[in-house]
Amino acid sequence: MIFLLADNVWLDSLLRMAIIGALVPVGVIMLTWVERKVIGRLQQRLGPMRVGPYGLLQGIADTIKLLTKEDVRPASADRLTFELAVFVIVVPVFMAAVALPFTADIFVRNMALGLFYILAVSGLGIVGFVMAGWGSDNKYALLGGVRAGAQLISYEIPLILAAVAVAMLGQSLNLYTLVALQDDTPFIAYQPLAFIIFVIAGLAELYRQPFDIPVAESEVVGGPSVEYSGIRWSMFQMGEFVSLVLISVLASLIFLGGWIWPFNSDNATWLQVLLMAVKTSAFILFFMWMRVSVPRLRIDQLMALCWQILLPFTFLQIIINGLVLVYDWPDWTLSVLSGAAAIAMGYVVYTAARRSGVLYQTSGVAQRVGSVL
Amino acid sequence: MLGILKALKTTMQAAARKPVTVQYPTEKKELPHRSRGFPVLLWDFEVDEPFCTGCQVCARYCPVDCITVTMKDNPKKEAGKSRRKKIVEHFYLDYARCMRCDICVEVCNFDAIVMNNTWQGVELSRYDRQDLVMDTDALLKQSRTGQLKDPFREPMGVAHSGWSPKTDEDEGEGEETSEEGGEG
Repeated sequence: MIFLLADNVWLDSLLRMAIIGALVPVGVIMLTWVERKVIGRLQQRLGPMRVGPYGLLQGIADTIKLLTKEDVRPASADRLTFELAVFVIVVPVFMAAVALPFTADIFVRNMALGLFYILAVSGLGIVGFVMAGWGSDNKYALLGGVRAGAQLISYEIPLILAAVAVAMLGQSLNLYTLVALQDDTPFIAYQPLAFIIFVIAGLAELYRQPFDIPVAESEVVGGPSVEYSGIRWSMFQMGEFVSLVLISVLASLIFLGGWIWPFNSDNATWLQVLLMAVKTSAFILFFMWMRVSVPRLRIDQLMALCWQILLPFTFLQIIINGLVLVYDWPDWTLSVLSGAAAIAMGYVVYTAARRSGVLYQTSGVAQRVGSVL
Repeated sequence: MLGILKALKTTMQAAARKPVTVQYPTEKKELPHRSRGFPVLLWDFEVDEPFCTGCQVCARYCPVDCITVTMKDNPKKEAGKSRRKKIVEHFYLDYARCMRCDICVEVCNFDAIVMNNTWQGVELSRYDRQDLVMDTDALLKQSRTGQLKDPFREPMGVAHSGWSPKTDEDEGEGEETSEEGGEG
């Protein structure tokens, strides 16, 4: 791909952005099909089967339906806020996609501060949710917007700090460099704690089950997107699915060794694409698997998990990294300390969940029922 | 926390099993013999007329009033071909209203009505509710064309003592009838 485009820098960038802009919606359309299929199978159903072979054209049918639907705006909605909110959600996601390398050759722009840029830009989407919630003039949307603000801002901190822990090891914020450092051992081996925190916080950033509190169907009927219809609603969907891919690609880049591990750095392009596809789909499938398996958290449990467990343990990870780097301890101490901290975190969550279990009276015998955590 | 792992295991086990979905219009579930579809009338192949005499017992007992029946003198009685003095003239049954309670089948003195236990019934997806009001021909079609091979009737478990849907002898004849019935 790097050889295919024009010599002129501006033209080159424009072409690359056009390719991203064309590929991303197609990817999202296919992802909606994949998600429905996967969830169907996990619930012993078939999923979509009617439109095309195995329902493959379902996403396209849905897209046509959404494009031709009436675009409704409530009369009392704050017009500018309402209409701009969807762009505030979608644009940052595309901006982050621009800086994300998929393989050594396939990327739009390799930035020296790529990791920093992606995390900073993807944080902007929160503003869109709050705008949508406020502008809709709808109580459910407002509640959803506030919940989205509270949850996404909270979980962004452990997410970013877990990425910072990795950047400490790599001494770089350049994703290209970070991947190149993982040709022997992926960073997950040195940073199991940061990896677990990154996945949990990523799941919360994607507001997917069990962290779907801002968009909970049974509580706030879809949250900020409740008043949106047709193409505007589909932009919410697009933001959600592109962020899903972004987090998955980012996690496979900085923890699973991207396009290099478990082979060496001069892999053929097809092998790089295959490695990245396998790692990214593993994350995506895991997120979908979580979605069907686990019930939604309460908002107090959500906040407790973030501020009382994830955040202190992220700091612990950073302190461990700092000690090991400053005193030049061998690499294996990093794995051992981080692993021990991960086990400690598991134990803390386990005991906390046991203690917060609600007492239920069942046929005269008081029984302690554990909560989700 | 262990609960999460258990939940993940449960869903994965569900994924390992065969999906339970039946793709309805192309595949159909096998119905049990006692399956209780919408009621249909039976055709007396010996005399070539319906069993129903239009006595209106079913209409009177129907809890949702979905049956309307009228009676007429049987022309075949005068010709000496049939023992039935009276025969059904019009039989209307509103499938939109019927609740498949089986009471019409239980009260029928002539075993002339049964619950359909095949998939050969009427497609219920209609644009107009009026299209679900069945007339005599539509109600007799299942039995007359031989689609209703083995109807079930309580308490005997047999639809009618002397009734057989199709014997080997009149197989050819029956098929002709079926074509006629289809056109009708």
